[in-house]
Amino acid sequence: MRKHWGKATISTMLIAALVLGGCGSGSGAKNNASEGGGGTEVSKEGFPIVQEPVKLKMFTRIAPVNGPFKDMPVFQDYEKMSNVQMEFIESPTDGFAEKKNLLFASNELPDIMYRSAISPLEAVRYGSGGQLIPLENLIEEYAPNLNKLMEEYPEIRASITTPEGHIYTIPGIVTLDSARTDKRWINTAWLEKLNLKVPETLEELYEVLVAFRDQDPNGNGQQDEIPITARTGLPIVVAMSGSFGLDQQFGYNVNIVDDKVEIWMGSERNKELLVFLNKLYQENLLDHEVFSHTEAQYLAKQGSGNTGVFFDQTNNNFLPIADQYTGIAPFEGPHGDRLQSQGAPVPRDQGAFAITSVNKHPEVSMRWIDYFYSDEGSTLLRFGREGEHYELVDGIPTYKPEFATAETQPKLTPYAGGGAPHLISEYVASYINPPQVQEAQKALAPYMPQIRYAAPMFDEQTAQKVNTLRNDIDKYYEEQSTKFIAGALSFDKWEEFQSTLKKMNIEELQQIYQDAYDKMAK
Amino acid sequence: MKNAEIHETAAAPRFRKERGSRLIRQIARRYDLYLMLLLPIAWYLLFHYGPLYGLQIAFKNFNPGKGILGSSWVGFENFQRFFDSYYFWRLLWNTLSINLFSLLIAFPIPILLALLINEIRSKSYSKLLQNITYIPHFISVVVIVGILTVLLSTNGPINMLIQALGGSEIRFMESAGWFKTIFIGSNIWQNMGWQSIIYIAALSGINPQLYEAAKMDGASRMRRIWHVSLPGIVPVIVILLILDIGQFMNIGFEKILLMQNNLNLEASDVISTFVYTTGILKGEYSYTAAIGLFNSLINLTLLLLVNRFARKTSETSLW
Repeated sequence: MRKHWGKATISTMLIAALVLGGCGSGSGAKNNASEGGGGTEVSKEGFPIVQEPVKLKMFTRIAPVNGPFKDMPVFQDYEKMSNVQMEFIESPTDGFAEKKNLLFASNELPDIMYRSAISPLEAVRYGSGGQLIPLENLIEEYAPNLNKLMEEYPEIRASITTPEGHIYTIPGIVTLDSARTDKRWINTAWLEKLNLKVPETLEELYEVLVAFRDQDPNGNGQQDEIPITARTGLPIVVAMSGSFGLDQQFGYNVNIVDDKVEIWMGSERNKELLVFLNKLYQENLLDHEVFSHTEAQYLAKQGSGNTGVFFDQTNNNFLPIADQYTGIAPFEGPHGDRLQSQGAPVPRDQGAFAITSVNKHPEVSMRWIDYFYSDEGSTLLRFGREGEHYELVDGIPTYKPEFATAETQPKLTPYAGGGAPHLISEYVASYINPPQVQEAQKALAPYMPQIRYAAPMFDEQTAQKVNTLRNDIDKYYEEQSTKFIAGALSFDKWEEFQSTLKKMNIEELQQIYQDAYDKMAK
Repeated sequence: MKNAEIHETAAAPRFRKERGSRLIRQIARRYDLYLMLLLPIAWYLLFHYGPLYGLQIAFKNFNPGKGILGSSWVGFENFQRFFDSYYFWRLLWNTLSINLFSLLIAFPIPILLALLINEIRSKSYSKLLQNITYIPHFISVVVIVGILTVLLSTNGPINMLIQALGGSEIRFMESAGWFKTIFIGSNIWQNMGWQSIIYIAALSGINPQLYEAAKMDGASRMRRIWHVSLPGIVPVIVILLILDIGQFMNIGFEKILLMQNNLNLEASDVISTFVYTTGILKGEYSYTAAIGLFNSLINLTLLLLVNRFARKTSETSLW
């Protein structure tokens, strides 16, 4: 009797284990099954969007400066207004890419991807696999505000439509020029003290940086000034490449001259650029922590007042000492080039919003997001409640002083920290575009390229090809450029660098971009 | 954990020889022990054998939306791409060399430490030494790398010292030449105490009469270590060596990833970090599954080779 009981238990438990194991791998499939609307009536205009409350799950990135989304006035008020209840799944900026890809890979999808920075390659991959649904018809019917913007700025549609005509993601749209460039801030207090004038050319810049290094402009008797710094990694290259005639089209290292696409990474001009940056690095002019400091450390350097030249979109990070700095024009290079190469297209934040296949209310979701592409909705998102968080000054929403600090402002709105799907127009930009920043933008404006092309969309196969090519090429380019600048690799190796790029089929990649451009031009 | 595995495998052949019916009767008699075994078995099935099913994506063009079965077959294309890749030889060399150097340098040190601690007469002093050496094991990898960064930065204490002695600053964390030294050196510091515990346990199991006999015969301290202590723990050393080889290609993923930057990538780019950055961050699941499979195959080959070698030379082996 006892023996039988034992055997039975063993076999049941073994079977249980096997069945459980089976469940683990099978659970992915059942998410796909839920299809079809829930029978809720969607109104095409006005609010609420639905009469019966609808619940949706939103996966969103949350920046270190933000507070919880459920405490933000925009989501509290909009829930009452629209009758759509959002459940937020917040994932910190650090490790967000990993979390996002794992959601797709394991097929455990939320209803909505928000602030998700889905790249064009990812959009095509997950869209063609059916995990993201095509949005073009929904936009047509349920997104009047977005539609209007897309008509006004044709480059938006071009940058998000695949060759098959599908739209899988909606970008954050920036009609305000100033929100698409990093200004070039120079320490005018130091310039005045050392009796120097604003540098116009790279040579003058070099002289000024040497003076910053040697003549102790902060007056503490030590050589602790940082003459020039930038965000971690290669943004310094992007910031300076315009002085060598190297543009940043398609969000990549690409020049477009006379309808010809050139990937310039292996060009002689790029060598000159890297030689110049290497000189700055070797002579202690370029911050030696430029490849290792964190974002927070970089922002602290901005606020310290101990930096000569740096790059940022706004003056928000150094507000208390903002009067020490002025935004200046790009520097003229050795061949007479003077270009603001750094900059983003109107559809600035790509892949900011997407609807997944498990979403039972795609129409509701589309109407929900469309509101934020109007000045009214964007004001709610960025400024909160009138009277409580902001007031109209000269007809323009402006934060009350207590919400205009680096502490309180990011807790109020999900746009702080970047990448939120909404409209950034001049109307909603009082905080990021104060007069000083407007002046700085004016200095850049004459040197902006005429058109800024966003990264193109490819069909699934081409996207795969581009992905394969760029994984190798970009990794190699980043590593070698860093080494050239830091002096860890001598310029004797330049030809090897060129030939390796060639071996990695950079010419094939160039042809793919050329084809994409030709299609766009038609 | 390691001990448990040793016992299981040592016990296995004995059962195999016996007849089926007797085996069942024995199982029935000792069913309570087998019940305890169920949990580990379930764990192995769930987490080690279950995922093997997904391995097929290495031979497919996996798109999560289409599922594992729905994705199309591509044969060895993913492997081909990896072997043709510019990074192939560099990844292979770094992975093998970092682990090989670790094994050559870091493996013997806990043994030496255990022998040393075993020879200390004062109980309290040896306990103190043991505690001090194994405390670093409990510090998280992130903190360890943070400590390294601070210590070795250009204005950190070590560079201060070098400059005070008239040398010029060394950019430790940002040079490919220093990477392996720092990585392996800090690993030794962190783990030698912990890894010596098993050896110390094995040493305390040696019959004291052997030492006394050796003493009577006039053997010096070094002689006693050489002829009594070491032979006493050789089986443990061999087993641990084989287990280490089993982990050969996977060691130190988090730490390498944390220490990695573009300036030391030449020496720090290894297969496991490459799989993470390309597979998880860029979503190339099939390609990196193929690389992972390749990695495991190398590992399995090494394990079989070492096991065979160990069986031939020292008669101690896993199977």
